[in-house]
Amino acid sequence: MSLLSVRDLAVDFRIDESTTLRAVKGISFDIAERSTVALVGESGSGKSVTALAIMGLLPRENARLHPASRIDYLGRNLLGLPGRELRALRGAEISMIFQEPMSSLNPVFTVGFQIAEALKQHRALPASQARPRALQLLGEVGLAEPQARLGAYPFQLSGGEQQRVMIAMAIACEPKLLIADEPTTALDVTVQRQILELIAGLQARRRMSVLFITHDLSLVGEIADQVVVMRDGEIREQGSVEKIFAAPQDPYTRALLACRPPLDRRPQRLPVIDDFMGGTGPKPGERKRGLRGDEPIILEARGLAKSFYFREGLFGKRELKAVKGASFKVAKGKTLGVVGESGSGKTTVGLLLMRLHKASGGAVLFEGRDLLPLPPKAAYSYKRRIQIVFQNPYASLNPRFTVGQILMEPMQIHGVGSGEAGRRALSLELLDKVGLAADSFAKYPHEFSGGQRQRIAIARALTLRPEVLICDESVSALDVSVQAQLLNLLQDLQDEYAMSYLFISHDLAVVRYMADQVMVMKDGEIVEIAGPDEIYSDPKHPYTRLLLSSMPGRAQQ
Amino acid sequence: MKASPGVWLLAWRRFERDRLGLACLVVVLIYGAVMAASAAGWIVRDWSEEVAVTYAPPTFLGPEAPRAAPAAVAETAPPGAREDYGIPDPLADDLAEIARELAGASATETRAATLAFGADKWGRDVLKKAVKGTETSLFVGLVAAALAAFLGTLFGALAGYQGGWIDDLFNWLYSVFTSIPYLLLVLSVAAVVNQKGVLTVILILGLTGWTGIFRLIRAEYMKHKVREYVLAADAIGASDGRRMFVHILPNVSHVVLVQLSLHVVLFIKSEVILSFLGFGVGVDTVSWGSMLAEAQSELILGKWWQIAAATFAMAVLVTAFSLLTDALRDALDPRLK
Amino acid sequence: MLAYVVRRLWQFVPTLLGVVLLVFFLFNFVGGDPAYLLAGKISNPAQIENIRRQLGVDQPYAVQLWIFIKQVASGDFGASWSTNERVSEIFATRLGPSLTVLVPLLAISTLLAMAAAMLVAYVRGSLTDRAIMIGCTVGQSISILVYILVFQYVLAYQLGWFPVQGWGVSFAENLLRYSLLAIIVGVAVSLAPDIRLYRSFFLDEINQDYVRTARAKGLSEHRVMWVHVLRNAAIPIVTNILLQLPGLLAGAFLIERFFGIPGIGREVILAVERSDFPIIKAVTIYVAAATMIVNLAADLLYKAIDPRVQLK
Repeated sequence: MSLLSVRDLAVDFRIDESTTLRAVKGISFDIAERSTVALVGESGSGKSVTALAIMGLLPRENARLHPASRIDYLGRNLLGLPGRELRALRGAEISMIFQEPMSSLNPVFTVGFQIAEALKQHRALPASQARPRALQLLGEVGLAEPQARLGAYPFQLSGGEQQRVMIAMAIACEPKLLIADEPTTALDVTVQRQILELIAGLQARRRMSVLFITHDLSLVGEIADQVVVMRDGEIREQGSVEKIFAAPQDPYTRALLACRPPLDRRPQRLPVIDDFMGGTGPKPGERKRGLRGDEPIILEARGLAKSFYFREGLFGKRELKAVKGASFKVAKGKTLGVVGESGSGKTTVGLLLMRLHKASGGAVLFEGRDLLPLPPKAAYSYKRRIQIVFQNPYASLNPRFTVGQILMEPMQIHGVGSGEAGRRALSLELLDKVGLAADSFAKYPHEFSGGQRQRIAIARALTLRPEVLICDESVSALDVSVQAQLLNLLQDLQDEYAMSYLFISHDLAVVRYMADQVMVMKDGEIVEIAGPDEIYSDPKHPYTRLLLSSMPGRAQQ
Repeated sequence: MKASPGVWLLAWRRFERDRLGLACLVVVLIYGAVMAASAAGWIVRDWSEEVAVTYAPPTFLGPEAPRAAPAAVAETAPPGAREDYGIPDPLADDLAEIARELAGASATETRAATLAFGADKWGRDVLKKAVKGTETSLFVGLVAAALAAFLGTLFGALAGYQGGWIDDLFNWLYSVFTSIPYLLLVLSVAAVVNQKGVLTVILILGLTGWTGIFRLIRAEYMKHKVREYVLAADAIGASDGRRMFVHILPNVSHVVLVQLSLHVVLFIKSEVILSFLGFGVGVDTVSWGSMLAEAQSELILGKWWQIAAATFAMAVLVTAFSLLTDALRDALDPRLK
Repeated sequence: MLAYVVRRLWQFVPTLLGVVLLVFFLFNFVGGDPAYLLAGKISNPAQIENIRRQLGVDQPYAVQLWIFIKQVASGDFGASWSTNERVSEIFATRLGPSLTVLVPLLAISTLLAMAAAMLVAYVRGSLTDRAIMIGCTVGQSISILVYILVFQYVLAYQLGWFPVQGWGVSFAENLLRYSLLAIIVGVAVSLAPDIRLYRSFFLDEINQDYVRTARAKGLSEHRVMWVHVLRNAAIPIVTNILLQLPGLLAGAFLIERFFGIPGIGREVILAVERSDFPIIKAVTIYVAAATMIVNLAADLLYKAIDPRVQLK
């Protein structure tokens, strides 16, 4: 008998009086004892809803379970249990950890209190016993200085530490099943690896089962025994991890596996889902990347620095050095990739180049001319020549503007195009170029998906025909398959317009694929600059080596 | 090319489905129509005419027992002056004449014994006063709220977006104004200005009531200033002014609208208090506040219709407006309740 | 922390100065010639000039401002124009009665509103929730004046359960006999807006992620609400109460006036009716200073109960 067995689970959400969304459309799968099952899917696939349904945590106001659904835990149907019995199971036999550890922990209670609470609830331990047990758990999840941490508040811990606390809380009562809902998505790459190893270790030592939910198929290869692939509320394929990776049957699964930029090749175009679903298959051909060394330099940064100041004490100031003297060159028509984790300063560098932040020091030379000391009027003409595409597709477009207004505005400001009609024609041309339908012109951003919004943002940047385009984590917030489409688009545009790119990302595989030269940043400094193939085959700086070893899927290469 | 529904149209569609919200909108519009008609003089122009007897009760209660008023007039001679010394009273004939005329006048002058909702001390129609009071209170509420919203939004935008010394200046102004409790501030200004009238009340309320809106709009601008769509506007070369009013303002306008609505309610209530204390509108017009002031002495006498009329008229308007504000908020920013 | 307090106290100065300027501008500049107000029917120019000299309003504005600043600094605002009582004495004697009404009012209305709001938040979305919320809206739409007049008329005058007006000598008598009706009216008036506000605080918390985690731990709904949610919602509620204090003082104006409670509020209303400027000026300055201190106390309290807050 399997530990947990899901049968014909179907969940509807009532959006408002007239609309109902079928989030999960009748799925069935099993979780065996002492095994790790990975539930993989992109956004909107229904994977999180499934997890919440198992725990009985779906919002009662608008979620409806189909009567034929069953979730059997050790033979008992969880969906039919009375509240009291379900609560006795939650936290004690089935536990769950969530994606955002910061908001998932109660901000006003200490870490020790929250862990001990689980123990008191299910094991009826008095405080004198619960506290040392909590301390033990903190040690087990690898938290440094556990004694001090017991009395700490969540906001005093880093993201990785918070997630360890959540895990400690979840395993406190020795559950048989741990559900982990995208536990590493919000964390840096290096921390991600640590948490993954922690969960795998706990699973083995405590002989529990893990239901690991993620959108990243490459993560899965290292930790899972079984894989379940979901799309649009349905299961596309499920099976052992070996079978799924070696011989995927379903076109969607094959597409998911193929769309990630591979670490050993550089295809001319990344395969996208349509290639598989439509049956045409991926296009062949390799792309060459790398610098010869004699290319003309279009953009150069020298000693770029930025400090933020905070008030401290009665009269004092505290300085935070976000960028500490960065020097690099961008070759004309080529891509410089910038890689780093959060706090490395990579995004700040991009903003400094655009003069969106005021630099504290250094120079930015555009074709030999220093941009930073220029008065606003003179800098104005340079705004046309360097443009930027931001990370968050949901925040970078003004929700009150139509797409047409968004595209025409830069043209209006800089006097591009002949009159309204001319600008409109140009906008439609650009929409076509980025792969959007012409009727998008009159629509509002909220009608588009994340990937489509980034296309609009790219089109906006293109309206001024820039020579340099800064991509600040432009594909990081997108699903893998959509990411592949956007990367292909960016490469096509670079081929057509001979633009130079500054490609900023935390994702090493993507940067390796896109860049002719790679720059690694840590704590505001550049620690290594090298060609894309060299940096991956022969990293010199210890931090670069750490980053590379933390990459998911590396073990399979 | 078919234009897509913008934020406002979508909000309106959501609002349409809220039956309670629609009902409140209708009520508010009716009040608005009454206000306009009253201001134009189409209705209740004769509100101040004394058409009924003093404290005439409402029709549904029935008239009071007739007073022996005319009889008292005839007894003009002071008590204790009954003794006739044989001297003819030179004024007797005239007095008798006056007495006859008075008795005749009260007989010919038809003053109503009851009115639809009763009369006040001077025999004025309470119902008409309540309607006229609508004009005063609603007009004051709307215009003062518009003024406060304009000032609050302008100041908030400047302070939130520009930061630096402009922000410090407005914050200083804000803390000065908010250090003094609202009612005290309003009363102080009223006491000083010592002038009645609708315009004065509007200015007092509007010039002191901008602080709440200022604080919210400032926070919104500070939040939006660092959003990527504003950075993107900077990247394509939009000026500060353009960013403030073409980009950010439309994203903040729904907050302004809800605040405007809330302040209308606040100012209606404040105007009533001001008029009650004698600092509001002049004697040439009527406000629910002045009706309540009169009701003070009336209650003791058991005459409750004026306070009832004023309270009812005000309660219906304010309740409808408040529920309308809630519905507006839900339509503009739908969240699962 | 000490640095923070010192910096905040230092920031009081420009604000207080601003209030002084505002008050001065209002009363000395806009307020017109008070001599005519006080002189009443006397229109003899010499007498009016005399009064003006007595009040000091014949001096140029700069001098008047300096005198006023000295008054504020020393706390001596002179004498009331109508009763000739020293303004500072007026405060000393009136503060007690005001507090006798305000403190119980605040305590009772807060507890009742919190309990009601929590219950309503628990059954959110239900018919009970809607009905209570509409009831609160209707309750809020009736002017405080009506509450005062009607309660006074029905409970005191008609039914005779409470004295209509008055004040006694002993504290106990004042609290239990004369203040009660005022407290009841005050609670009735503030209940509706408080319930709405606290309900929104509770609802904001109920939708947070940590509530989901607490339920995932298997905690009872009871514990989730009364321990986790309440502790978080308490933060805005407590700070809100503190911040309301100065405003409460003002709202009590009308209550004190009509129930004949000899507190600060009643003094102010009388002063306003009689155009007694020194009192109004002094109250404004005092209350402004009190508000600033209360704001600082609220921020410090916020720091004490919300571990996330770091005072900068």
